[in-house]
Amino acid sequence: MAGRVIVITSGKGGVGKTTTSANIGTALAKEGYKVVLIDTDLGLRNLDLLLGLENRIVYTIVDVIEERCKLKQALVKDKKNPNLSLLAAAQTRDKSAVNAEQLKEICDKLKEKNDFVLVDCPAGIEQGFQNAIAGASEAIVVTTPEMSAIRDADRIIGLLNTKEEITSTRLLLNRVRPNLIKNNEMMSVDDVVGILEIPLLGIIPEDTGIITSTNKGEPIVNDEHSLAGQAYRNIAKRTLGEEVPFLDLDEPKGIVAKIKNVFAKLKAKV
Amino acid sequence: MEKGFIENGFIINLSNSKNTNQLVYELSNIMEHPDVRGKRVCLKLGNIDLKQSQLLSIKALIEATDAGIAFIDTTSEQTEASAASLGIMISKMSDEMQSDSIIPSAPEGEPVVVKEELVTEEVPVSEPEESDSVAEKVVEPYAETEPASDLTGLINTTEGVEDTYTEASEHELSEIIPSERFENEFERLAASEGLISNEEISKYILLDTGEVLPQGAEEHSTDTKGLPTLYLSQTLRSGQTVTYEGNILIIGDAHPGSEIIAEGDITVWGILGGIAHAGYKGNINSKVRALKLNAIQLRIAGLYARRNDTLNVPYVQKTNEFIPEEAQIEDGKIVIYKKLRRD
Repeated sequence: MAGRVIVITSGKGGVGKTTTSANIGTALAKEGYKVVLIDTDLGLRNLDLLLGLENRIVYTIVDVIEERCKLKQALVKDKKNPNLSLLAAAQTRDKSAVNAEQLKEICDKLKEKNDFVLVDCPAGIEQGFQNAIAGASEAIVVTTPEMSAIRDADRIIGLLNTKEEITSTRLLLNRVRPNLIKNNEMMSVDDVVGILEIPLLGIIPEDTGIITSTNKGEPIVNDEHSLAGQAYRNIAKRTLGEEVPFLDLDEPKGIVAKIKNVFAKLKAKV
Repeated sequence: MEKGFIENGFIINLSNSKNTNQLVYELSNIMEHPDVRGKRVCLKLGNIDLKQSQLLSIKALIEATDAGIAFIDTTSEQTEASAASLGIMISKMSDEMQSDSIIPSAPEGEPVVVKEELVTEEVPVSEPEESDSVAEKVVEPYAETEPASDLTGLINTTEGVEDTYTEASEHELSEIIPSERFENEFERLAASEGLISNEEISKYILLDTGEVLPQGAEEHSTDTKGLPTLYLSQTLRSGQTVTYEGNILIIGDAHPGSEIIAEGDITVWGILGGIAHAGYKGNINSKVRALKLNAIQLRIAGLYARRNDTLNVPYVQKTNEFIPEEAQIEDGKIVIYKKLRRD
């Protein structure tokens, strides 16, 4: 079998590439697919923290490339889901320790035995980015509804389009705040899709639960009650080809309205 | 192992465990469950004999998840004595008498049967003739801050006690408590005033990885005293590595994400939060010490141990009071000792 290699990239830093990688990976593994996550952010690795696997890492991608261990030895299995494993970045080296060909080779090897290989790309458009996209056939571009993030995403999409191997580039809009959109203080989903002109894979609402889940090392998709978790689960399903309607982000508004309603009723009684 | 629910806590039944290793293994599995956080835990320990230090480790394991021991249920006199000396409440619970009455929601409730006398009876305050000589032998090495090697030598002679740890390899558990052998020495030390004593703590689990030593390196046991020492006075930050063909002494903290690799011992006068690899060329005699051992991984010679997930807190609160800790290899496991000062 030949799995799919998907790179998760953004150009700008801090928009949620790593969070997205961890959550889509976990969600796909929960659906029963074999998934490998590769952290290519050498020197500034984070993916292991988000998955709570830092204490299990012995070998990193650099050890594999420099042949100090076998590829299989360097794969760290997730605590909960044996379908999910992580190939960690080296913390004590920098991006120059790896080149694009080597990464492509690793991706090619991994996709033989796995359904999905998700590559978490570092910020920027330099070597780290070039390495990360080398083995990929699909890309997910993560952005937030801010001018700067969109500008960088646009640049990235341009770069991805010049690469023939990448056949599909889809957009993930992160940290969306419906109430700001309503007040015209934030660009709407349609605005962003209109500017970037690539198919929309999903929308993730702003969720403070992400902070706690990151600190705990537990991806938010494992939280059945979280809206962001639900959004990531939907994205995983869309990645698998299912048609899932986009979340109605106005829902929380509805709850507030309901509460107001209750108060109004109470007042009426008094 | 079964879990029962009671009003404001859990009953954890570990009475089916065959030995201490299994007990701690099962307990740590349960403690990883998020629901246990912050709860009061009632332990059914069955007839397993627990030494004071072992019970202390178990207590530490539970407290690491913000939970606390409400009381324990045991049929072993030894465990009872240990609990009494640690101030842990003991209660007998039969299966019929459930919930309300058990948890002392009223402070210092009635069902608790703490046998005060046991403390004085069971803890050997002084074992007449022998104690002096042993205490001397043990104390001396401490003065030279080179405790464990001599201590081990000394205690090995008393080894004839049946080995209860044979099943350990079955689990991924590495570190737990071979301290039966140390027990008497501890008690004697504790008895004599103001001596520094070791308290074994358990927070690491052995990683199953293959050969990790540099190529061609062989396991050996060399005294690390003779090696040169690198003295560093700085904070090691994420991504920084220190490698030295000798001992490394760091005055400062080693943050998570940093790496310290030494041919001999590693000593951190501060919080060790990164990865420490002592004796990386195969010296199983090397040790790792720190004011606070919070390393993500501890590596000594060819052994790798990861921090228990329940303790996966990367940054440690800085306080004025640290109890220094020391890790070493014992019986093919990485064991950590707290250097306690008993007053």
